[in-house]
Amino acid sequence: MRIDVGAVSDFEQRRVRIVNAGNHEVGVLRWGERFFAVHNRCPHQSGPVCRGIVSGRLTSRVPGSMEVDEETPILACPWHGWEFELERGRALWDPHYAVKVAPVHVESGRVVLEVRRGPAA
Amino acid sequence: MYSGPVIDSDVHHARSADSELIPYLSKGWREYVTDRGPAGNVALTVQDGLPNPHGFMRADTYPAGGGEPGADYPTMRDQLLSASDVRRAVLTFGDDSHLAGHHNPYFAAELARATNDWSIDSWLGQDTRLYSSIMVGSQLPDVAAEEVRRHAANPRMVQVMLVDNPFNKPFGHPIFHPIYAAAEETGRPVAIHGGAGGWANPPSTGGGSVSTYFETHVLWPQAIQTHLVSFIAHGVFEKYPRLRLVLIEGGSAWIPSLLWRFDTEFKGLRREVPWLKRLPSEYFAQHVWVTTQPLEVAPKKENVVELLRSMSLEDHLVYSSDYPHWDADEIDYLATRLPAEWHRRVFFGNACRLYGWEEEDVAPPQQVAEKER
Repeated sequence: MRIDVGAVSDFEQRRVRIVNAGNHEVGVLRWGERFFAVHNRCPHQSGPVCRGIVSGRLTSRVPGSMEVDEETPILACPWHGWEFELERGRALWDPHYAVKVAPVHVESGRVVLEVRRGPAA
Repeated sequence: MYSGPVIDSDVHHARSADSELIPYLSKGWREYVTDRGPAGNVALTVQDGLPNPHGFMRADTYPAGGGEPGADYPTMRDQLLSASDVRRAVLTFGDDSHLAGHHNPYFAAELARATNDWSIDSWLGQDTRLYSSIMVGSQLPDVAAEEVRRHAANPRMVQVMLVDNPFNKPFGHPIFHPIYAAAEETGRPVAIHGGAGGWANPPSTGGGSVSTYFETHVLWPQAIQTHLVSFIAHGVFEKYPRLRLVLIEGGSAWIPSLLWRFDTEFKGLRREVPWLKRLPSEYFAQHVWVTTQPLEVAPKKENVVELLRSMSLEDHLVYSSDYPHWDADEIDYLATRLPAEWHRRVFFGNACRLYGWEEEDVAPPQQVAEKER
């Protein structure tokens, strides 16, 4: 089902807003003009991953260098710091380990989330 | 029992007197160390360390004709090389291996050069099975790198050995990287030998300096663990992707535990080391070998085997006797502690991969002699 979670202008840059979506919480992030959504449950110890820190992805060409990839938003779980990229939810150290993502897009200035189950009672 | 071919990756050859090494020093350094009147010569070896109440050498390895254990080739040949099918033995020096514990960096660099030349002249010509480590004065990493390159064309000088730590910074620190650049460039593994903790540098354990040799020997793996973590965390294997590392005399049963912890910590702290592209355990699997001695002994040997197997260490362990030291492990003893299906790899094949040798080229001594004719 589709859930209208608000106007684009309601979403602050680089801040995750947690919304109810079906029987669970989903975090919606605005990053520039792009939106990302992930379920608020870390695959590690079920921590509230969406309450973690958002940043660009830190990278390095050679040991000792520190660069940031601003095209790739990263969410770090507040419980143990495990980092996930938000495009596909994949852990930075293992592409097979991921936080669950939810489709999200903009329609006529509104942010629309797609989830499988109906809204929580 | 194991009767197949053996490569021994830790054999301590030694000298019985300073007079063996002094001729290899430059004229100036010979003048510096000798004829100092009643005080005697300047010591060539680092005068430090905790005493072992048994002594550090197997009592049966003292040569019948006098001299120090490990200093007499016929004794070593009879007791070690010819006692089983040892195809190659990697020499790792005696007290001279601690030269990086000298406070004078220039003296250490000169001793490294002299010690390596002594090893070539005094040992490698005696037996085609003998191969030598390259000692370096790591106090001066650029000079050390040049020392490594000086031996590039000598296939009998097979690895770059680090023991004492002159900077109290673990060996992954960039200050040491010129040495690794030279090692990679010349195709030599870097060997870190345990035991520096009881000598000049660094403090003997992570928790402070201990009081007895008993304590320091139990805690031997601590420094090796620190260096291994440092190597991987500093991205040494990203910077030098063809570099191989062998950890000597630091034990092995702790490796699974450390790597499990290392991988888990990486998941949460990757931000600090974004140059790492893989899990720490994956760098270990590709780049690191570990000598067998001293193998941890559990009441049930299966417990140790299970631990080692959990990180596929049967493909990383290389046999080492540690001859002529008091805590040496014998081939037949080790064979009883490890599964038979591991023997050929641990006693022979893994070391061939480490040193870049083709197994079929590592022939018995008589075949070596025929090939050379």
